[in-house]
Amino acid sequence: MKGGLNLDSRSGWAEGGNTGPAIVPGKPDASLLMKAVRHEDKDLAMPPKKPKLAEADIDKLKRWVAMGAPDPRVNAVANSAAVNWWSLKPLVRPPVPKISAAQAKWVRTPIDAFIAAKLREQKLTPSPEADRRTLIRRLTYDLHGLPPSPEEVTLFEADQAAGAYERLVDRLLASPRYGERWARHWLDVAHYGESNGFGMDRPRLDAWPYRDYVIASLNADKPYARFVQEQLAVDALFPDEPELTPALGFAAAGPFNQSALVEQVDGTDCKRIALNLDRDDMVASTASTFLSMTVHCARCHAHKFDPISQTDYYQFQAVFAGVGRTERLFDPNADLRNRRAALRTKIADLEKNTDTHPPTPAERTELANAQNAWELSLAAQAVNWIPLQVERVASTNSKTTFTKLDDGSWLAAGEAADKDIYTIRAQVALPRLTALRIEVLPDDKLPTRGPGRQDNGNLHLSEVRVNVLGADKPTALALQNSSADFNQIDWGIERAIDGKSETAWGIHPQVGKPHQAVFELKQPNLATNGSVFSIELDQLHGQRHLIGRFRLSATDKAQPVRVPLLPLDLLAMLARPESERTATERKTIFDTHRLVHLKQRLAQFPAEHKVWAIAGDFTPLRNYMPTKEPLLISVLRRGDMKQPLAPVGPGALAAVSTLPSIFSLANPQDEKARRAALARWIIAPENMLAWRSIVNRVWHWHFGRGLVDSPNDFGRMGSPPTHPELLDWLAVEFRDNGGSLKRLHKLIVSSATYRQVSTHRAAAARVDSDNRFLWRMNRPRLDAENMRDSLLAASGKLDLSMGGPSAMQFKFDDPNVGVSPLVDYAAFDPDSPASYRRGVYRFLFRNINDPLLEAFDAVDPSLSTPKRNSTITPLQALSLWNNRFVLRQCEHLAARLERESGNLDSQIERAFQLLTVRLPTSAETALLADHARRHGLANACRVLVNSNDFLFVN
Amino acid sequence: MKRSATSLSRRDFVTQLGGGFGSVALACLLQEQGLLGAGKNAVPLGTPHHRPRAKQVIQLFMLGGASQCDTFDYKPELQRRHGETVNFTVTGGTQGSAGPLLKSPWEWRQHGQSGRWVTNALPHLAQCVDDMAFLMAMNAPTSEHSSGMTMQTSGFVTPGFPTVGAWVSYALGKLTDNLPVFVALPDPVGLPWTGKAAWTNGFLPAMHQGTMLNPAAENPVPDLFAPKSAGFVNSGSERDGLDVLAKLNRARLQPGDSRLEARIASYELAARMQLAVPQVLDLKTETDATKKLYGFGDEKTEPLGRNCLIARRLIESGVRFVQLWCGSGLGGASGNWDNHGDIFPGSDFERMCVRSDKPIAGLLKDLKARGLLEDTIVLWTTEFGRTPYSQGTKGRDHNGNTFVSWMAGGGIKGGTTYGESDEFSFKAAHNTTMCYDQHATMLHLLGFEHERLTFRHNGADRRLTDVHGQVIKEIIA
Repeated sequence: MKGGLNLDSRSGWAEGGNTGPAIVPGKPDASLLMKAVRHEDKDLAMPPKKPKLAEADIDKLKRWVAMGAPDPRVNAVANSAAVNWWSLKPLVRPPVPKISAAQAKWVRTPIDAFIAAKLREQKLTPSPEADRRTLIRRLTYDLHGLPPSPEEVTLFEADQAAGAYERLVDRLLASPRYGERWARHWLDVAHYGESNGFGMDRPRLDAWPYRDYVIASLNADKPYARFVQEQLAVDALFPDEPELTPALGFAAAGPFNQSALVEQVDGTDCKRIALNLDRDDMVASTASTFLSMTVHCARCHAHKFDPISQTDYYQFQAVFAGVGRTERLFDPNADLRNRRAALRTKIADLEKNTDTHPPTPAERTELANAQNAWELSLAAQAVNWIPLQVERVASTNSKTTFTKLDDGSWLAAGEAADKDIYTIRAQVALPRLTALRIEVLPDDKLPTRGPGRQDNGNLHLSEVRVNVLGADKPTALALQNSSADFNQIDWGIERAIDGKSETAWGIHPQVGKPHQAVFELKQPNLATNGSVFSIELDQLHGQRHLIGRFRLSATDKAQPVRVPLLPLDLLAMLARPESERTATERKTIFDTHRLVHLKQRLAQFPAEHKVWAIAGDFTPLRNYMPTKEPLLISVLRRGDMKQPLAPVGPGALAAVSTLPSIFSLANPQDEKARRAALARWIIAPENMLAWRSIVNRVWHWHFGRGLVDSPNDFGRMGSPPTHPELLDWLAVEFRDNGGSLKRLHKLIVSSATYRQVSTHRAAAARVDSDNRFLWRMNRPRLDAENMRDSLLAASGKLDLSMGGPSAMQFKFDDPNVGVSPLVDYAAFDPDSPASYRRGVYRFLFRNINDPLLEAFDAVDPSLSTPKRNSTITPLQALSLWNNRFVLRQCEHLAARLERESGNLDSQIERAFQLLTVRLPTSAETALLADHARRHGLANACRVLVNSNDFLFVN
Repeated sequence: MKRSATSLSRRDFVTQLGGGFGSVALACLLQEQGLLGAGKNAVPLGTPHHRPRAKQVIQLFMLGGASQCDTFDYKPELQRRHGETVNFTVTGGTQGSAGPLLKSPWEWRQHGQSGRWVTNALPHLAQCVDDMAFLMAMNAPTSEHSSGMTMQTSGFVTPGFPTVGAWVSYALGKLTDNLPVFVALPDPVGLPWTGKAAWTNGFLPAMHQGTMLNPAAENPVPDLFAPKSAGFVNSGSERDGLDVLAKLNRARLQPGDSRLEARIASYELAARMQLAVPQVLDLKTETDATKKLYGFGDEKTEPLGRNCLIARRLIESGVRFVQLWCGSGLGGASGNWDNHGDIFPGSDFERMCVRSDKPIAGLLKDLKARGLLEDTIVLWTTEFGRTPYSQGTKGRDHNGNTFVSWMAGGGIKGGTTYGESDEFSFKAAHNTTMCYDQHATMLHLLGFEHERLTFRHNGADRRLTDVHGQVIKEIIA
């Protein structure tokens, strides 16, 4: 689109392109559009380089502009009461259709009455109920994602008492396997992944609590309204249940462009675009998941097909304008959280003003005792540092020179190289050596006073090496227990002795101040008499992260030797006996110790739990940091960051005419309140979209097709409902009965519609070949996780333990934290314990999916997957036929059969039951037994695993 | 405009199955299902919108952001004002402010009839300029690697969208039953920034996914053969097992469910692939002269030379789209074209040039000599360009403002250029193009109008070119 003009919408032509508004309503002759189509101006000519439009068409345009250029869609947005689209109509419970006497024989539930009515309209008849084996297999896969065991099948077949089917449904819904199966559906929609995606596909080792939260919520049959509210704003709405914090993993579940958001410098267009797209992912995910609306089109222009304006979209963005994605910390209960918070507040207050919390007498006594012990231990820690006698300091860069200053430190000058290694030759005036100290010191000659030579005053010490120069060759001295008075985030002092040149110690942002680092010798008490040492300081990060001024000293104090974390002046006060301290000094020491003491107590609290989630406040990660208040969000002309229009506050969709779309908040700058308002708006009883959305999803997952076949899109680009009345009846029924998903499942699977056979009927297929009206049950192919779990169930290797960190079903190497890790599925041992966990617990790397599961359409969590593909390809055949994991399960299955069944025929029969639930015909048994006799039982299992009867559910 | 219920489902049906099995089986199934929907809703499979000029594509991806300043974009002004500081507005990259101008340390010379400027970093490609059309003012909306990469591979800066090869597979379908439609050849050193997502089918059905070919692995295609660890499998059990499976499945076919039949066909096709893949990878039949052309016999050029030769063999064998990578994302800014630290002789930049120059030139020459270039579009691209100013003293930072890409073969007018960057090669200045235009041009040559090639996903008729793209007529023969 040249010239930046978009005529598809009113906002498009009203703003116009680079040459101004295209249309002046009511004034055709003043409108650039008319000039363009009349080819009055060569540069503007439309269509370009083509003949003019027909005069009749130009005349139509002229009349339209003269009319004021009305746009029916814009009016639809402006006047939401006029919205007449099915999904936006308020929810009203429709009457259940009356059924005829003939239908009554088939109908079991109100659902069936709706289905029967449509079938009759289409001159179709329903199918009879399937047999018990078919039903138990269908139900168990549907509710558990697993096959029933042969024993369960036998029991169900034998249960001739009334209500056997209902008892089976209840048993299945009560099992924790239900939550595992249905959580996987939800995670598809939430595009939950366990790595960042994009180019730095870093693992998220703490994403799994969200997955466990979803499983637990489903198993507990949490009311849907509550489930929605927790995922968007549990911190605001249910602050006394911090254990539910993992719910906030929802909006953070999508991809995260770490290289742009964390590594790139602030302020560039590139970074701002990345931040905008990051919020867009949250908005798109929330609207598709809970509302089945595709609002993200409105990022650049008013939605072309649905009544969603750019204002709606950016109001939605404003809801998320105060959050980032982070490893969020939380406590497993409110009491612990409150105690921890109180202590933290106290510490923070005391750090600002030592008089804020006057100690109680009891506290005073406790502190006095603790202070005594503390002073004694500090005295024991005091170190006698003796400066090294430096003979020479050399740089690998010929242009760098060193000058010795009066205090025994050395200052680097001259042109700095990108990288350098300083080598210092020195002697020690001590009989023995236990530790070494490096002080890096500020100096006016250094950028921002140093102590580093980088423009920002920083330095990066990659590695420290110490050698004793003996008569023949130098002996390396190993270092340990490094400590420093300050560590840059992700650049800790331990990195200076980790043997890796790409990691280092840094001191940013504490520049312009002295710092010190201490290294213990691994073998202390080294006799030093007359030895010459060579100390090498590697500084290999590049970009002149070099030490500007330093001093080296050594000690013979018994280990441990660590850097004290107290200011130097305080150490001097403490060195004097108590009687010689002034009152002020005593108070300073008391106050300092009190903080040390409180911090120790805080450190003794159990560690907080972590979850990858959204948060308003979080520890910055390099260039990615929390905004203090929600960012100001403006409508962006054509979605362009450089063209902000009017600012907007938090809100939702005007098209939902039953609710106000602009949130009025007591404190609009409280980002939590914004999310809470959105959560309440979404799940209000009047919000027709939310209730229709969820019942349609549940229907989709039971039948393989929703009543609306586009579960993420109830707009004009989606499909209209096949049974609008049934959809609304289900939505109202669900909403008004506590939003119980288990009740909804039972209602659906108890219907005669669900219990039909899946058999084809030519006459019915001629009318409705796609079975949209459900004259039979559909026949789904096992999805990726079902297939894998079923193989494990059959082989007897399935590990049903629940929850916890995800099972890495691949070989994992992470040599370089700056890039994506190495993930190798082919090199993974299919017999390692992680292999036996259910699919819902496998670690979900975004960029490198499991090839076996990928061949079976496992989701790519880059985008939301409301319905899975179900393809059949040669690569899928190759995978099921040859994959190492599959073949290994064939061997385990064969061993199990040999263990559990007598002769070959009964082994084959059991294999059929384990994999397909049905019993083989005698011809099939003979065919497979013959194959087993010639090639072994494992090969017979391999054939059966590849059969259609295993892969499809009747 | 609304689809009828039935045609929608037929489209779904064929998109789920269509490209996945043999043409005989497909024809049979289509007959059974009735004719496919017509007009706008027709399944694209092999039905072009107009007469195609090409039928296959090789996409060569220089991972890391290949410097246009040191390869194809000659700027006398940059050479002249070397060392000066210009007040550029930095739009992205890894440093917040611009360093002094850095002229190319490589030597510029004009080549071919067309007189194209190329540095001596790429002496072999310089011999092919008369076959290439250069887009001299390519622009990307980002200067960040993975976004830039997915932009060039899928037309979007965020992940999850189908890649170019997947779209071509969706549009044109297959030429052969024996090999995948879309094959990816990663650099032998390692995968690109986004791993296997670099050849994803996104929301298109799985059959359109790029199949990664790893010539050196025990299984060059995942699970092509049973692993050695599966001791119970042998050639006898293999053959008999497939027979028994077919019998078992055939006896249980259900009327009205063609998927069951499609699965039987899928095993027949899988067996053909087991024969065809090793044949394509077996280079014994290639002459020494051919191998030499691709740089065999020199450890610096042979790794990519081998992949380039395999790419030609894949094209010969009927693979529709080959994506070939030069550079890996394994080691951060090394082992690829991300030359922040150094673009001088002896640097990673030189190594990348040497690794790829002769092999890619060899591929072009070989395709031409065999008459394959006429029907094959070769597309050389990278995620973005680099700055004309320096980073550190000898390197260059990312620069999405301008970069160079070239196309050759199938309907492309050789020896042409389109577009121009500014005096320093900092920003695209005239006839700016983006990947949308390049992809639109490619689809046009393949017989498709980019605006009409769509796939419905989450409420939008998605296109490879999003809402952009113009066919660049100026580079079409």
